[in-house]
Amino acid sequence: MKFGKRLKQQTEESLPEWRDKYLSYKKLKKLVKLISSAPPTLSRSSLHCGGRAEAEFVYLLNAEIDKFNAFFMEQEEDFVIRHKELPQRIKNVMEKWGPNGSEASETEFKEQMAKIRKDIVNFHGEMILLMNYSNINYTGLAKILKKYDKRTGGVLRLPFIQRVLQQPFFTTDLISKLVKECESTIESAFPRWEREEEVVAVPGDGIFRNTVAALMTMREMRRGSSTYSHFSLPPLNMADIDVIQSLRVVAPIQIP
Amino acid sequence: METKHALPIQRSGPRQISSVGASASLSAPSTILEETFPRFSEPQQVYLERELMQRPPAVVSSLSSNSGAVGHIFSSSSGFSTDLHFSSVQQQQEKHRTQSPFISQSTSSGKLVKLPHSVDSQPLQSTASSHFNKESNESWCTDTLPDFLDFPMSTTIQSSQLYRSNSSGITIPHEDLGKPNDWQDWADQLITDDDALTADWSGLLADASVADPEPKQCTSISNQQPHIPQQLPSAPGEICMGGAQSSSNAAPGKQRMRWTPELHETFVEAVNKLGGSERATPKGVLKLMKVESLTIYHVKSHLQKYRTARYKPETTEESSERKPASIENFSSLDLKTGIEITEALRLQMEVQKRLHEQLEIQRNLQLRIEEQGKYLQMMFEKQCKSGTDLLKGSSSSSENALKELKDVQNSLAKDSSAVEAENKVSEGEPAKKTGETSQVAGEKQKTPEGVPSSPPTKRKKVDEEVPVSS
Repeated sequence: MKFGKRLKQQTEESLPEWRDKYLSYKKLKKLVKLISSAPPTLSRSSLHCGGRAEAEFVYLLNAEIDKFNAFFMEQEEDFVIRHKELPQRIKNVMEKWGPNGSEASETEFKEQMAKIRKDIVNFHGEMILLMNYSNINYTGLAKILKKYDKRTGGVLRLPFIQRVLQQPFFTTDLISKLVKECESTIESAFPRWEREEEVVAVPGDGIFRNTVAALMTMREMRRGSSTYSHFSLPPLNMADIDVIQSLRVVAPIQIP
Repeated sequence: METKHALPIQRSGPRQISSVGASASLSAPSTILEETFPRFSEPQQVYLERELMQRPPAVVSSLSSNSGAVGHIFSSSSGFSTDLHFSSVQQQQEKHRTQSPFISQSTSSGKLVKLPHSVDSQPLQSTASSHFNKESNESWCTDTLPDFLDFPMSTTIQSSQLYRSNSSGITIPHEDLGKPNDWQDWADQLITDDDALTADWSGLLADASVADPEPKQCTSISNQQPHIPQQLPSAPGEICMGGAQSSSNAAPGKQRMRWTPELHETFVEAVNKLGGSERATPKGVLKLMKVESLTIYHVKSHLQKYRTARYKPETTEESSERKPASIENFSSLDLKTGIEITEALRLQMEVQKRLHEQLEIQRNLQLRIEEQGKYLQMMFEKQCKSGTDLLKGSSSSSENALKELKDVQNSLAKDSSAVEAENKVSEGEPAKKTGETSQVAGEKQKTPEGVPSSPPTKRKKVDEEVPVSS
């Protein structure tokens, strides 16, 4: 139930509109239980029961995949639209209120740029969270399929997962590309500055918080299990993970 | 965004579909479908859900047994009481009756690889047109569908109800269906025909919006234009294979467009040519874009999103202009908070970047694992087969199989160390993490050996010291 718990946690901490878009892991698990608990007798009812649950399982799996695809592509479309808008905004602001702009005004410029900076960082974060969404759902699917195979002796897992790998929601290359583009926009528009003071930010509700949560979940899920196999992922290998974990603790600055 | 159906949804599995009556069966899978359907990962392609092709057999039986109900659907005379939404759609559809059919390609199924041929299309259309809305749905079902299954172009049912079901439907035929092979012409025809269509669409949308305000929903409902994917031959292959394996219950006809940056740029160009996002109309944009398989619904919903995306920042920028006074007031206070906020943002960026990195790594690992799993499976099967061959006396094949198995293990070991190297490089802080990385190495090394013959078995907890095996 560990994954289930993690998933639930992740879901609860995610952005509100996303909450019902995650994998219905619990439900699927119940179905697997139902399938495997149907005793292997020749009684019609139990066979029917097991068979029915099995059909429902497959049905639900497909439904979930469709759900992921729809949501993912919807978000992706949004990102594709927005990824050009932000650089455009920067350009507009520069042209209008920038040092060589038509209505050069430092305060205006600063304020606008601050807004854009916030928006662009959040945009970056959202895209990454979508990738996380994709990944966590994939992981859930892989796990539930493994359970299914194990409990029912079926061979559903391999072909199914092969199909999943090709689904739109798992092919996140475009999003990754957009993320990189976003990073370069940020680099060019907002040059780095030296750290003036030690500032610790507390992730409030929203993207930052969700990101931190995602990292934590990932680490937990990869901590190693009792059924470690060649299909399992190694533990998370990341520096500063403890520092990031400490971000969950209350701290002074809140990102508005 | 979830279902708006009034009907309580039974999530019946495939087995149930044939046993339940047409209306129920058609609505049962409905929940899930909503607006989602598989997409090509190639840009600018739209195709029908492949499972569509797997469904018809089941649906046929139910359809033929309930021709009354089916007739009901196809005649679209009165809406299903099940959904207010549908009934409104169906009223609209009556108007559309004489208009173009929707022929969408289901190129997807692995079975259907060829493009439409005149031979196949003829019977479909003639039967469809004669039977449509008439008595013998049964004959229609039984005669046409077999052809239909071979026929790569599947016609989608105009009724959204049927969209929601798995039946690959029939559409209300167009009178001009005499030139079946001329898909290009059809596409043009439809695009030029869309004056009437557009009026209906807006009406339709108005109705639809009552039930569901999201533009997306509307897209899914009355998709009446044919979809002719451009790169039919190339792309579908891999994607279809994946899809064909599932016994999915996705609805036919709801085609979602996967918007790529290139497609979006074409869109933006078209919009700009037409005078900007406010002035551009979906019809105009669609015409300018000249992208096959793009429908007006896709454009419509995309345009709406585009407008929203541009409008919001513009209003905020303008509104801030109007408050110069307040800005002056707290500018000095702002300075310090400004720095802190910036710092916070910087930190947020860092964390986000980390997550991104880790996600990429994780994803690559997952892909690799599955790839190797697949390969190993093949090896097992080969070995099993050659094992039996051995019994029959031919030993060479089994030796080969064993050799290959060893090769796979070696490559697994190589790959895992490569992956681990990747991990190290991306981390860049070896000192802190040597303990962990060596553990990773140990685990990864260990896994290949556990692979042969037996399926994943329970292992000891990984926390224990794992000796790094050679």
